[in-house]
Amino acid sequence: MRRRTFLQGCILACLGIASSGLAQQGHPLSGTWTGDWGTSPVKRNLLTFVMNWDGKNVTGIINPGPDAIPLASVFVDVTNWTVRIEADTKDQAGKPVHITAEGKLEDIANYHRTIRGAWHQGAVNGDFKVTRD
Amino acid sequence: MRHLGLNAIAVGFGLLLAGLFVATPAFAQNGFSATYDSTRPVTLKGAVTKIDWVNPHAFFSINVVDAAGTTTNWAVEFGNPLDLEKDGWKRTSLHIGDVVTVDGILARGENRQAFAKSVVLARTGAKLFTASSQKRAPAPAGPTPRWPDGQPRLGPPPGKTGYWGAASASGLVETTATPIPMNDEAILRNIADADRAAPFQPWAKAVYEHRQRNLLKDDPFLHCLPPGGPRQFQTPHGFQFVEQRELGRILVLSGGGDRNWRIIYTDGRQQSQPEEEVRTYYGNSVGHWEKDTLVVDVVGFNEKFWFTNGGLPHTEALHLTERFSRPDLNTLKYEVTVDDPRTYTRTWKGGWTVQWVPNEEIQEYFCEDTAESAY
Repeated sequence: MRRRTFLQGCILACLGIASSGLAQQGHPLSGTWTGDWGTSPVKRNLLTFVMNWDGKNVTGIINPGPDAIPLASVFVDVTNWTVRIEADTKDQAGKPVHITAEGKLEDIANYHRTIRGAWHQGAVNGDFKVTRD
Repeated sequence: MRHLGLNAIAVGFGLLLAGLFVATPAFAQNGFSATYDSTRPVTLKGAVTKIDWVNPHAFFSINVVDAAGTTTNWAVEFGNPLDLEKDGWKRTSLHIGDVVTVDGILARGENRQAFAKSVVLARTGAKLFTASSQKRAPAPAGPTPRWPDGQPRLGPPPGKTGYWGAASASGLVETTATPIPMNDEAILRNIADADRAAPFQPWAKAVYEHRQRNLLKDDPFLHCLPPGGPRQFQTPHGFQFVEQRELGRILVLSGGGDRNWRIIYTDGRQQSQPEEEVRTYYGNSVGHWEKDTLVVDVVGFNEKFWFTNGGLPHTEALHLTERFSRPDLNTLKYEVTVDDPRTYTRTWKGGWTVQWVPNEEIQEYFCEDTAESAY
């Protein structure tokens, strides 16, 4: 058991070293981010951001595929790495719903850096966390 | 300061000596400041249990017994094998079981690791792994070597050997009237000078300052990833041009880093479209001669590396125009124009000169990411 734990630790350490060495080193928001949002620890919704820095703006989409939601705006404050993402979608009844995600980019040098914060979708308030793939 | 008992006596060398340690070693290596804390001197004594004669850093391990009789194993870094071999040292200069006393500095954090400033063999009192006191004689002056058609040679003159060694600057920054003070690892002496390093976009300046404040500890180069871009011409073990004129290409062989190579095509081909190609660490290089200057256009970089010592950021939009000239036998002039509108607010230029090392070849070097250096 101890040996197995040790081996698992070694594998995780190796993965950590490899991932830090292979990190995307450009704009910290560029890339694909996956995670979830929800109103409680048990009520979660899968969430994927694809973001790209074009030199002036961060553009991208939420949940790629036929029902992808284009990002309306992404603002990042580089003095503290806070991020505000806005998008517009529709609910199941076809009624417009505004999405606002306000979070903080953590550990910008890490390949698996994260953004976590508050999620507002229409009248629903929750939290979100996404990790860069 | 660490206190380790009878056989592991931590010695305070005083503020004066500590001050001397603040400077990085003359053989400065990438990641040194991120790994070691120059303000924490240590003395260790113990028997050697392992010797790792590997690039980029040679290590030995010793068992150190403290005052309470507890034995701990320490990793001691003592230089780069190629530099040590140049000074006449070999792997067999030290043997497992030898008892040594190490004066050095501690690694940051709680790891039992130190960098050796001196290693003394207990049974003879001999100092091991010291740098040679004999300075290399300056290369004899000479004119620019040329091919029969008059074009400058970037390699050695006919019948000779040699390679390009030390660069005149440790990092790339925008050329300005007043140089920006930085150490041998391209860490700014004053972080407020970051504004002068390059015309950053706000995000890029924040990333650069983050890397600088972290003493470049996240540098992919430390994990043996290739030193693409201008950094290729600033690695500790130099580089070599192999001009294959009949094939219309110039190979750039790296003496440092991951011992990789890069091809500069001089056969008149057009530059590629980066969007249609696999992006790489060295990009796609197309060159031509303008009188005595080789002008190289490079695009197609990936974002997995730092293109300069010191941690200037870039994106896939990076476009370099490099200019190489050889005003005399011993000098290579390198100038680069950096164009990355996603990272910088305008194009900018930097550069340095590189010194010729005559009558030698670049040594075989494989960067091996050791457990000790990767912690």
